Amino acid sequence: MEEESGEELGLDRSTPKDFHFYHMDLYDSEDRLHLFPEENTRMRKVVQAEMANESRGAGDGKAQRDLQEEVDELVHLYGLEDDHELGDEFVDENIPRTGVSEYPPYMMKRRDPAREQRDWRLSGEAAEAEDLGFGGWGSAGQCQDLREAYRYTHGRASEEYECYVIPEEEDEEEAADVFCVTCKTPIRAFQKVFDEHKEHEVIPLNEALESAKDEIHKNMYKLEKQIIEMENFANHLEEVFITVEENFGKQEQNFESHYNEILETLAQKYEEKIQALGEKKKEKLEALYGQLVSCGENLDTCKELMETIEEMCHEEKVDFIKDAVAMADRLGKFLKTKTDVEISAQPEFEDQTLDFSDVEQLMGSINTIPAPSAPVINPQVPNSATGSSVRVCWSLYSDDTVESYQLSYRPVQDSSPGTDQAAPSPPIIKTKEIRSCEEAVLICWESGNLNPVDSYTVELTQAESPEASGVTDSASLYRSVVGIPTCESVVQLQPGRSYIIYVRALNMGGPSVRSEPATVHTIGSYFRLNKDTCHPWLTISEDGLTAVRSERRTPARELSPSDTHFTRCVAVMGNLIPVRGHHYWEVEVDEHLDYRVGVAFADVRKQEDLGANCLSWCMRHTFASSRHKYEFLHNRTTPDIRITVPPKKIGILLDYEHSKLSFFNVDLSQHLYTFSCQLHEFVHPCFSLEKPGCLKVHNGISMPKHVTFY
Amino acid sequence: MALKQISSNKCFGGLQKVFEHDSVELNCKMKFAVYLPPKAETGKCPALYWLSGLTCTEQNFISKSGYHQSASEHGLVVIAPDTSPRGCNIKGEDESWDFGTGAGFYVDATEDPWKTNYRMYSYVTEELPQLINANFPVDPQRMSIFGHSMGGHGALICALKNPGKYKSVSAFAPICNPVLCPWGKKAFSGYLGTDQSKWKAYDATHLVKSYPGSQLDILIDQGKDDQFLLDGQLLPDNFIAACTEKKIPVVFRLQEASIRKL
Repeated sequence: MEEESGEELGLDRSTPKDFHFYHMDLYDSEDRLHLFPEENTRMRKVVQAEMANESRGAGDGKAQRDLQEEVDELVHLYGLEDDHELGDEFVDENIPRTGVSEYPPYMMKRRDPAREQRDWRLSGEAAEAEDLGFGGWGSAGQCQDLREAYRYTHGRASEEYECYVIPEEEDEEEAADVFCVTCKTPIRAFQKVFDEHKEHEVIPLNEALESAKDEIHKNMYKLEKQIIEMENFANHLEEVFITVEENFGKQEQNFESHYNEILETLAQKYEEKIQALGEKKKEKLEALYGQLVSCGENLDTCKELMETIEEMCHEEKVDFIKDAVAMADRLGKFLKTKTDVEISAQPEFEDQTLDFSDVEQLMGSINTIPAPSAPVINPQVPNSATGSSVRVCWSLYSDDTVESYQLSYRPVQDSSPGTDQAAPSPPIIKTKEIRSCEEAVLICWESGNLNPVDSYTVELTQAESPEASGVTDSASLYRSVVGIPTCESVVQLQPGRSYIIYVRALNMGGPSVRSEPATVHTIGSYFRLNKDTCHPWLTISEDGLTAVRSERRTPARELSPSDTHFTRCVAVMGNLIPVRGHHYWEVEVDEHLDYRVGVAFADVRKQEDLGANCLSWCMRHTFASSRHKYEFLHNRTTPDIRITVPPKKIGILLDYEHSKLSFFNVDLSQHLYTFSCQLHEFVHPCFSLEKPGCLKVHNGISMPKHVTFY
Repeated sequence: MALKQISSNKCFGGLQKVFEHDSVELNCKMKFAVYLPPKAETGKCPALYWLSGLTCTEQNFISKSGYHQSASEHGLVVIAPDTSPRGCNIKGEDESWDFGTGAGFYVDATEDPWKTNYRMYSYVTEELPQLINANFPVDPQRMSIFGHSMGGHGALICALKNPGKYKSVSAFAPICNPVLCPWGKKAFSGYLGTDQSKWKAYDATHLVKSYPGSQLDILIDQGKDDQFLLDGQLLPDNFIAACTEKKIPVVFRLQEASIRKL
């Protein structure tokens, strides 16, 4: 390459290294070095062409020196001292994508010396301009040239330039653009056919990139989760920490008081004992002292006698005999008196076993838990008793440790009913308004009395039991709920049964007779359409299960908004029993009918369409131009769903436990769609007719098996 | 038929295994993946066949989809075969990614040089179920099939050509009408020759038009932004129109974004 340029330029051999163009790709330098000699040659040829007009006398010492300085300056600027390749040569302008912004100035500067060299011979003015522009971009004319050079060397697509090089293509061939999943490396597309990667799976680089990003995001997510977990754990530890302190405090107190008690008792015992010993000692000493004194007296008497006898012995015979007789008497008497030589008090103190049993007891009781305080029974609440059972609630002190409770009871004498008041009349159950599900029933009734009553009692019997028919014997009762203050009650029941319900009223005069019975089946859910919520254009049937919208002209004015009935959406709500768990019902519709069926909260805005807000969910069907369109609306959004066979009977499953609302094509047992919905309050079924027609609700159906999977 | 176990890994309480065997239909060694849920230790479970799409092997589904937890909970045995015969050394089988290796299209080829080995339809509907029923605790009466893209096409045609054999069929972004899309045309002309009447026997949209059989429950999920959908390779609308007319129950869900990661 060197030789070529030298020849064409006709330059001095002393400037051999002017126009060496090497790929300056810091990321992939080695490979590129030899790959595109043609390109360089081409470019160089153009340069030569440009230069052809100039005199060839360029490149004498000065220019060369300047060049060298320039080179050194730039090398230094770009920290390329270590790169020997660049130390001496010029850098090729064929820079690929990366780092493009950095290199143009570099390249341009590289170019400048060449230009300077070329133009040097031209006009001094131009040369000066060059000089000025050497460090920067200089005059406009020069700028133009430089821009040309820049664009040219970048090889940018431009139709303006004749010799257009397209480095990008070649670049792309070189760059990795697919990702070998097996080897987990980026490779070039053509490499796929080589042995190494032949059998391997490849995917486009973008995908690999995305999946790598996904991986990282996943891991980040995991990390975040872990952070949260650890924080929770730390909080928990703190709580436990505090609890440990509290418990310690309690234990300490307890032990201290016990311990003090024991100490006091011991001290007391000590005092008592010492005192007793002291007294004993005194006793003994006194006894002994007494003895000692009498002993001394005895001794004195003996001595006196002795002396007298001795004196006698020295008397005259006559006196001696007189005295001797008297003395013999005295002696005789004296010696007859017993001298007590028994020691009255023993020196030893008797061993006394100390009674420490109470201390032992105290010591033993230090480990026992104190007996708890007596619980306090809460007053009886209404509705908490039946004919054969009563619900008792009580509270305890938090300091107590309780293992179990013992409850005992005894009947007390009933206060005899006042004889002057008559028992009330029986209430009347509103059978049409009974709502039930598999686990409970909601009954309401009319009082049946002009005067107020004290309370009501609900009695239920199982429909299968033989005593059920008309017998008022309380022994056949299944349940009886007493103390009901209002005219409605929710009673828990077993699923899959039938019950007969009666209600009685109660006052001071006693209970009324049973009301007329009502029957309840705990299969599926029963509800009726609520006429109070019904849009004025809908008619509800007598049995509360069919809604009809008849043809009519729309009235001129809009309906005024209402809180109770729908004014915009021609809809009606059902009264579902307010019990959680799951509910299932079916709706029969016509294939060509435009309808909405779903659920909504009781306080959903009645001026809006079902599904247009976040308080309602519904399936919507519209039939237009022979096409069936299905939407599953909540908050005005619906997923994009197509259903090929229009359902004639729609099964709806409301599952509070799993927060789900599902729709099914009953005839095909086909699942259509499931909403996940947050049901913080109770919802009710809703139905709307967007065109004249009718729909019928079917109740009391137990959940079909296929429904349970959702 | 002897099964050689290649690998076995515990997963969500069950076992993910890979086996190799000598296939009679395909005249080569074939691998397939089987997941046995915990319930399989004590009783027979329903069998679910998964058919993968273009360029896949038996590995893609078991490593990328994360289906194991559901399969474990619901007690399903999931079987994932490969997408074409391997190592047959047929000239041209590796030339493109959408024909030949990894692109069996679940047909029985009638053209040379493919007809000896490329019999994926028979493999999936006959040989493999027989093998599975004989060697694993599955209930032969409860079988379902599902797949992605080319595998979705496979699932649909297997179900439509065998009324009553599968209890349900689902597909992710399936090729619904191969005779009208570039992939299908390329594959069918290669495997089945130029007689388009032979092509229709493997086209879900055409099969539906003459589906006589028992009730089917079809679920299709399709990504809205799926490039192949936009390129006219999948053509679900044609399939839905045909099903609507013939009253075949289908629920078709168009999901946000593309689900083409397998």
